[in-house]
Formats: sequence, structure tokens, C-alpha cells
Amino acid sequence: MNPGQLARARQVAPEALQPSWRRRLINWALTVAAAAAFVAMCVDLQLAPASVLSGFGKLGTFLANSMPPSDGGDLPRILVALAETFAMALAGTVIATLVALPLGVIGAKTVVGQPVLHFVFRRSLDWFRGVPSLVWALILVSAFGLGPFGGVIALALADIPSLAKLFSEAIENADEKPLDGVRAAGVSPLMALRYGLAPQVVPVMASQVLFFLESNFRNAAVLGIVGAGGIGFELEERIRIFAFDQVVFIIGLYMICVAALDMVSQSLRQRLA
Amino acid sequence: MSETSSAVTAFEALRRQTLRRQRLQTLAGLLIFSAILLISFQRSQFFSSDIGDDPLGRIGEFLNRMIPDLKGEALLADSRTEGSLAWWYYDLPRWLRLGWQTVEMAIVATVLGAVGGLLASFLCARNLMPIAAVRFTVRRTLEAIRTLPDLVLALILVAAFGAGPLAGVITLAVSTMGSLGKLFSEINEEVDPRQLEGMRASGAGYAAMIRYGVVPQVLPNYTSYALIRLEGNLAGAAALGIVGAGGIGIELQRAITYTEFDTYLAILLLIVGMIFLIDIASEAIRHRLIGLGESR
Amino acid sequence: MLELHGVTKRFGDTLAVDNVSFSCQRGELVGIIGRSGAGKSTLLRMVNRLTDPTDGHISWDGRDVSRLNGAALRQWRRRCAMIFQQFNLCPRLDVITNVLVGVVAERPLASSLMKFFPAADRARAILELDALDMAHAALQRAGTLSGGQQQRVAIARAMLQEPELVLADEPVASLDPVNAEVVMDALQKICRERNVPVIVNLHSLEIARRYCTRIVAMSKGAIVFDGPPAGLTQTVLDRVYAGRMTPETAPFSIVEAA
Ligand SMILES: Nc1ncnc2c1ncn2[C@@H]1O[C@H](COP(=O)(O)OP(=O)(O)O)[C@@H](O)[C@H]1O
Ligand SMILES: [Mg+2]
Repeated sequence: MNPGQLARARQVAPEALQPSWRRRLINWALTVAAAAAFVAMCVDLQLAPASVLSGFGKLGTFLANSMPPSDGGDLPRILVALAETFAMALAGTVIATLVALPLGVIGAKTVVGQPVLHFVFRRSLDWFRGVPSLVWALILVSAFGLGPFGGVIALALADIPSLAKLFSEAIENADEKPLDGVRAAGVSPLMALRYGLAPQVVPVMASQVLFFLESNFRNAAVLGIVGAGGIGFELEERIRIFAFDQVVFIIGLYMICVAALDMVSQSLRQRLA
Repeated sequence: MSETSSAVTAFEALRRQTLRRQRLQTLAGLLIFSAILLISFQRSQFFSSDIGDDPLGRIGEFLNRMIPDLKGEALLADSRTEGSLAWWYYDLPRWLRLGWQTVEMAIVATVLGAVGGLLASFLCARNLMPIAAVRFTVRRTLEAIRTLPDLVLALILVAAFGAGPLAGVITLAVSTMGSLGKLFSEINEEVDPRQLEGMRASGAGYAAMIRYGVVPQVLPNYTSYALIRLEGNLAGAAALGIVGAGGIGIELQRAITYTEFDTYLAILLLIVGMIFLIDIASEAIRHRLIGLGESR
Repeated sequence: MLELHGVTKRFGDTLAVDNVSFSCQRGELVGIIGRSGAGKSTLLRMVNRLTDPTDGHISWDGRDVSRLNGAALRQWRRRCAMIFQQFNLCPRLDVITNVLVGVVAERPLASSLMKFFPAADRARAILELDALDMAHAALQRAGTLSGGQQQRVAIARAMLQEPELVLADEPVASLDPVNAEVVMDALQKICRERNVPVIVNLHSLEIARRYCTRIVAMSKGAIVFDGPPAGLTQTVLDRVYAGRMTPETAPFSIVEAA
């Protein structure tokens, strides 16, 4: 590269040749600050390497103790608990769907056009969307006593805002053109919804509900830990007494059930699509 | 003419057959579904459970006990005056400290989990990892992680690492890795192959291809998934405290144990507010990064 | 000098390139024509080694390049620049970075991961862009440019590689006539001024006749014609396009040319 060429390059694209030192400096400063903040947080949380190591050591012992897995002679009870967990998930999902459907219709911008009303409605759904089912379960179990009833309501309460929001979006995202096409054929508004909107929206909603059923099966297992019964309760009991051979057995069985449910729901969703 | 009519007959026969099969399938599906549903409601003791003779009344009473006894004239008085705001939030400094700890747990776990997920995502993306055995193993591992509920993992980790934020952070980091690893690998697989080919044709190596061909394409999506996950982890961190894995959940648990339902509501509102703030912050960051990502 | 000896490529049952042998000298602008699916792209991709030949040898200046791998393969790709129909740039990166990708193969790993390039490389990139009248857009994102502009950026990248051989796979198929002319002029200039062989796949006979010093026609993976543009008679074209040169099926430009 001779000086003449360099000068020529400088002349045609000056900015491209002079990297902005200010921008580089700011980028570096931001990176360093972020790293420092991360380390500070770790220190504040007392994430000491020593305790991490000893913890993993203990985990290893647990794992060694858990071999071979065993059902502890409680297989029928475990199976019933699994069925109960699924029952909770299904009941919770169905209730959530039934409540979320009208809410979702009201929440759709295309249905309720009034912007302030729409905003307030959506925002209030958003507030509740943050509350996990576990937090509901804690309070419902203490209200209704131990057992799956509180769990079902907790799952439903946690799902309703999210499902309603998804339903609203499905309705809003529906293509207007088929609806216009059906309307142009001179049918009543209800029939226009039936033939113009429903074919687009129902499969989307159904597949969302199936997703929620899958995730509720997982959440329902968790609710047992705070006293809603089912497989979570059986697991907690055994973790508390360090019976890891049974813990591993139950977790394995549970994972198989989850995988089976996911497969069924996935194939259903594919048929919907 | 006869040709048309035979075509119509054939169509009608086919239609009748298809309809009959469809109806049968629908009927069978409905029957099975309602049977399962019935058993489910029965098993979860939905209608039969012993929740008193007046369930709605109980919920009402319960909600009533959650509402704090605030008195208008004493609203701004100090924490010893019954009915003041300070009296309702009597342990606010502690809750704020635990709330901040929850936020820290969520952030640290999201960062660790995202880094883990990033590594895993390159190992299980079809277009970037040529060795099928590695892809298979990593994929199955991520799947297994996603199946295991956070709280169950937290229970086990609390038993191993002791009560405190460490168990919570590891739990959330592992589960974040499970979900982000999958999402990231899907993003990786949608990378435009032509750009990679263009780079390969200039003699670029694997690392340079990732740096110039993949990263600029995926960075905005990565960030937005990680931030969404951060919001989720905040709720998760709040819940994990219930089993002693650090964060504000422990106070929720305590409030329930001592039947201080108004305190429960107070903390719940605090958590919801916290999630709301993080929501807004992460939304802002997301918008800025998508703009900034231009020249990455 | 590029030499191909009995180069063959199979994809399963498809014989994409069938026993092709030819050679090409410095300063030649070779146009490869043929129906879609004739194996033109596969042939070029084998030369750059984006695709591995099933059989046969490809050599450059007497050295076999068809069995290279690892760093040696990357070096070969650097020396043998390739230009694509869809430009294959990274739309989210700015233009100058897209061009600088042409030197990444020679840069140390760490500095290229940091996106750091020495001033001399940046200056060269600017000069290559300037030669194609694109220096003004150096800091713009590539995705914001028009097709013709993107193709010029891709050529600038190829030039930054200081190639000994330039391959172009239908470089003008996605461009309007004016831009097509700009790009073809650029390729012709490269061929003449830098004295490198340029091999370009074309589907427009008219362009092939106008720019190329030599035309190779392929049909069903094999070479059916190799000679000066003037040798492309109607009988040859019938063979190349397998008797399908009816006005309905032939591309517009072919009808015109025939
Ligand atoms: N990656 C591939 N896998 C399978 N078949 C391919 C692949 N690439 C090309 N082919 C086949 O090889 C033949 C030649 O393709 P190509 O070289 O793209 O032709 P052209 O560029 O002349 O249109 C076609 O039949 C095509 O279907
Ligand atoms: Mg082609």
C-alpha cells in the first residue's frame, strides 16, 4: 500500500478509516461495568467456590446412593399419585380455558375497539400474569386444606391471564380477508364468525391449550410440594428422608409420563395445524 | 352427461365414506376425552372435596382476611400504629433486601444459564454441528432438564448445597440452560446458509464463520429470548424461596405459616411490582439492543 | 492455469456433473451456459470446493486442489474467489466489514474475533469499493443496499482476497439489465487488468456472447460445446437446450439471440 493510495482511501471514505475511539471506549467501559456488576452480585449472593464444590460432592454421594433405583414397595401408590397429578393438570387447564375464552374475546382489540378500555383490560391481565401457580397454591391450600382441589384452582388462576392474552392475540391476528369473503356472501354476523373467523382461530387456540396442558402437568407436580398432593408430595417426602433411590425412580417414571404426554399433544397439534 | 353423473356419484360415495369416518373419529375422541375429564374432576376431588358447605363464602372470608385493616386517619403514621401503611408493611426493609436478592438471583442465573445454553445450542444445531452423536446427546440432556420441574430440582439442590441462594441460582441456571439451549439452537438452525457459504467460499474458518456469519444474525433474537427468560426467572426465584432456596419466597411461606394473610398480600404486591418493573426495563433494553445490534 | 480431469459429481442417483475435463488460462473470460439443472453451479462449487467431487481431479498451476482440507483448503478458497447469484453477504454487517471478510482467512483468530482489522486492510477494502463506486456506502448495513449494489460489494470482497481465479455463479441473474451490465463490466475489467481467469455461469446467451472470450455449454452434466462465441450455431444450441428451443420454453434472450 503506497501513501498515494492511502490518501485516496482517506479521501473517499474518511469515517470508515478512522475508527471512532469514543465509541470503542464506551463499549469497553460498558463491558467492564457489566462484568463488575455480575461479580458483585455473585459476591452478594455468597456464591463461594468452596460451597459450590462441597455441594457437588454431596450431589455425587446422593447419586451413588440412588443406584439402583427402587420403588420402595410403593409402586401402586406412586402410580395413583401420578394419575392424580395428571387429573389436576387436566381439570385446571379445562377450567382455565372456559374462563379465558370470554376474557380473550373481550380483550381482543378488534372486538372491543375502545382504546382506553382495551389498555386497562390488557394491563390488568398483565399484572396477574406475573403470579406463578405456586404462589396461588400456597394460599389456596391454606384456605381449602391439603388436597388437589386447591391445586386445580391454583393452576387455573395462573393460566387464565396468559391464556386470555394469547386468545386475544389469536383473534387480533386473524386474517380479515376470509371474514370479508364470507360476509360478502351475505351471511349473518354469527355465521360470518363461524365460517370466517373460527376456522382460523380455533386451531391456534386449541394448540395453545395443549401447550398449557403440557406445562400444567409439570406445574401440578410442583404443587404437591406445598401440599396439593400428587406426585410432588411423594417426591418431597422421599427427598426429606434422603431416599434417593426412590427419588430417582419416581423422577424417571415421571419423565416418561411427561414425554408421553408431550408426544400425544404434539401429534394432536400437528393434526390441528 | 353420463360421465358427469358417474363422477358425481363417485364423489358422493367418497364424501359419505369420509364423513362417516370423520364422525366416528370425532365421536370416539369426544367420548374418550369426556371420560378422562370426568375421572380427572373426580380424582382431583373437585366436586366432592371436603371444603366446607360454603366454598364461595370461604373464599370470600379468605379474601377478606387478605385485605389489610387500613385506617384512613392513621394511614401515614409509623409502624406501631394499627391501620397505617407502615404497619401493614411492617418489615419492609427486610422484604426489600430479600426482594433485591431475588432480582440478583434471577440475573446471575439468567447469565449463567444463557452462557451454558449458548454453548449447548452450537453443539446441537444441525447446520453447525456435523457429528450426529454429539447433537443427539446434547439434545436429550436439554430435554431431560426441561422435563424436571424447577422446584423438584431445588429441593434436591437444597439438600446438597444447604438452604440459601446458591441452590436457587444453580436450579434456575440449569433450567434456563435447558430452555434457552433449545431456543438458541432453533435460532441457529434458521441462520441463512447463503451467508455462511459466502464466508466459506472466501476461506474463512469455523470461528470466523460463527463470528461474522452467525452472531450478527442471531444476536438480537438471543437477547430478546434471554430477557424474556429473565422475567420468568424472577417469578421463579420468588417461588423457590418457598423450599428455602433463597429470595423473598421464604417470607411468603412464613406469612402463610403464621396465617398473616394481609402480610401475604403485602409481599405478593411487592413481588408483582418488582416483576412489573423488570418487565418495563427489559422491554426498554430489548428495543435499544435491536437498534444497537445493527453493526454487531 | 486451471485444469479439470474427468471431474464427476453424483448426488445419490443424480449425475450432476459427468466426467468433465477442460482447462482455462489466465486472461480468459469463460462463460458456462446450459439449461437449469445442467450442472453449472455444481461444477463451479467443486472448483471452490464448497462441494467435493465424487471423482476426477482439479488442479491449479499443476497442484492438485481437489483433495485439500483444513487450512490448506481455506487457503485455496481464498485464492479462488466466488461470487453468488444471491450475493451471500451478511445483511446485518456494514459494507466494509462484509468486504473485510475477504481477508479473515489470513488474519490471526483473536483479532478477527474482536472484529479488529489493521488500517492497511481497511484502506484496501475502501479502494476496492471505490473502484466499484461503492465507497460512499462503506458504513451502511449491507442489507439496506439494492441488489446491484450488494453484488458490487460481493465483488469487492472477492477482490480483497487477491484471487488468482474468479468464479461467478449466475452473478447477474437477480439483477436488472443496467446493473447486470455494471457487474459484467466489472468482471471483464478484473479479467483484463489483473490477468486472472474468470469463469462465469450465465443463463443469458446475449450476455455470454457479448462479454465472454470463450463459451462452454453443458447439458445433463457433460460439456457439449467448448469454443469461441462465434461457434455457437443453431445446431449447437439445439443440442444444449435439448431441442427445447421453441419460443414458449426458451428464455427471452435466447430466442432473441437465436
Ligand atoms: N446439494 C444437492 N443435493 C442433491 N442434488 C443436487 C444438489 N445440488 C444440485 N443437485 C442436482 O444436481 C443437478 C445439477 O444442479 P446444478 O449444478 O445446480 O445445475 P445448474 O446450476 O446448471 O442449474 C440438478 O439435477 C440438481 O437437482
Ligand atoms: Mg445454478
